[in-house]
Amino acid sequence: MSGLQGYVDQRVLLILQDGRAIVGVMAGYDQKSNVVLSDSKERVYSPDEGVEEIPLGLYLVKGDQIVLIGELDEALDQSVDLATIRAEPLPPIRY
Amino acid sequence: MLIFSVFKTLTDQTVTVELKNDLSITGVLKSVDQFLNIRLDSIKVLDETRHPHMMAVKNCFIRGSVVRYVQLPAEHVDTQLLEDATRREAAAQAKR
Amino acid sequence: MLPLSLLNAAQNKPMLVELKNGETFNGHLVNCDNFMNITLREVYQTNAEGDRFWKLKECYIRGSTIKYLRVPDPLLDAVKEEQKMARELGRSARGSHVSGSGNRGGRGAPQRGGRGGMVRGGPTRGGRGRGRGA
Repeated sequence: MSGLQGYVDQRVLLILQDGRAIVGVMAGYDQKSNVVLSDSKERVYSPDEGVEEIPLGLYLVKGDQIVLIGELDEALDQSVDLATIRAEPLPPIRY
Repeated sequence: MLIFSVFKTLTDQTVTVELKNDLSITGVLKSVDQFLNIRLDSIKVLDETRHPHMMAVKNCFIRGSVVRYVQLPAEHVDTQLLEDATRREAAAQAKR
Repeated sequence: MLPLSLLNAAQNKPMLVELKNGETFNGHLVNCDNFMNITLREVYQTNAEGDRFWKLKECYIRGSTIKYLRVPDPLLDAVKEEQKMARELGRSARGSHVSGSGNRGGRGAPQRGGRGGMVRGGPTRGGRGRGRGA
């Protein structure tokens, strides 16, 4: 299994099929790549405003909604001033 | 199952994965599983200015079901062998 | 920690469920299964646009239609604590009497369900052992 071991207790970025980007600490996962994120926040991107972080708390995301899980380099992530980032939100998955 | 084996032979090679949300990610293939979920290391997103979302991400897990293409390094794929293996598998399947 | 253990522990707790079609359901979890099929009670349903609301006494949601669930923060620590206790109980039980792998009906520690009713107070219910436990 090219699984998610190694991501547990790490701060991760989750990209969902609807284009949402959520950061949080991976508290657990299972075989179907269902994921539990604690202390999670949605990062809302917009082309004409800085990134807004919306606190979401404890989240259980279904595996079939997940596009990608990335390990965040915390130092690098904290060095980025989200307020200065302008970008389109990621597009949703289209089959 | 064949393709799974092909991917396994490509671990530690650099591949580019195009997702169904049009994101393209280049990185070193670390592992694959039977769902063709992929783990990439040292990733770089194509057109980073348009997609700054993954700036602080160095390695990632990609769900197999959202992969559109994987660009493989041609020099590391023995297409002759792959064709033969495909025929063999097709023949085995026909027998069943 | 398995997502399903968290969900199992969320029984009688409030939660928000968003479906793949964008509808949301706010209510208290009555029951759930390993497919993440769930029943909620005292539900507020919101359409995808967020401009229409319905109140439902109870509803059933098929797991495959769920995008995500949002559950109360304290649940995480509660589950972690429970799992720790279940593990310790399991260890001492294994140490005290030799039992094979098929440990059904043993009175020692909960190996599988891992959730006795005593730990959390609140109403106990049947059918709890279905979760995968630790």
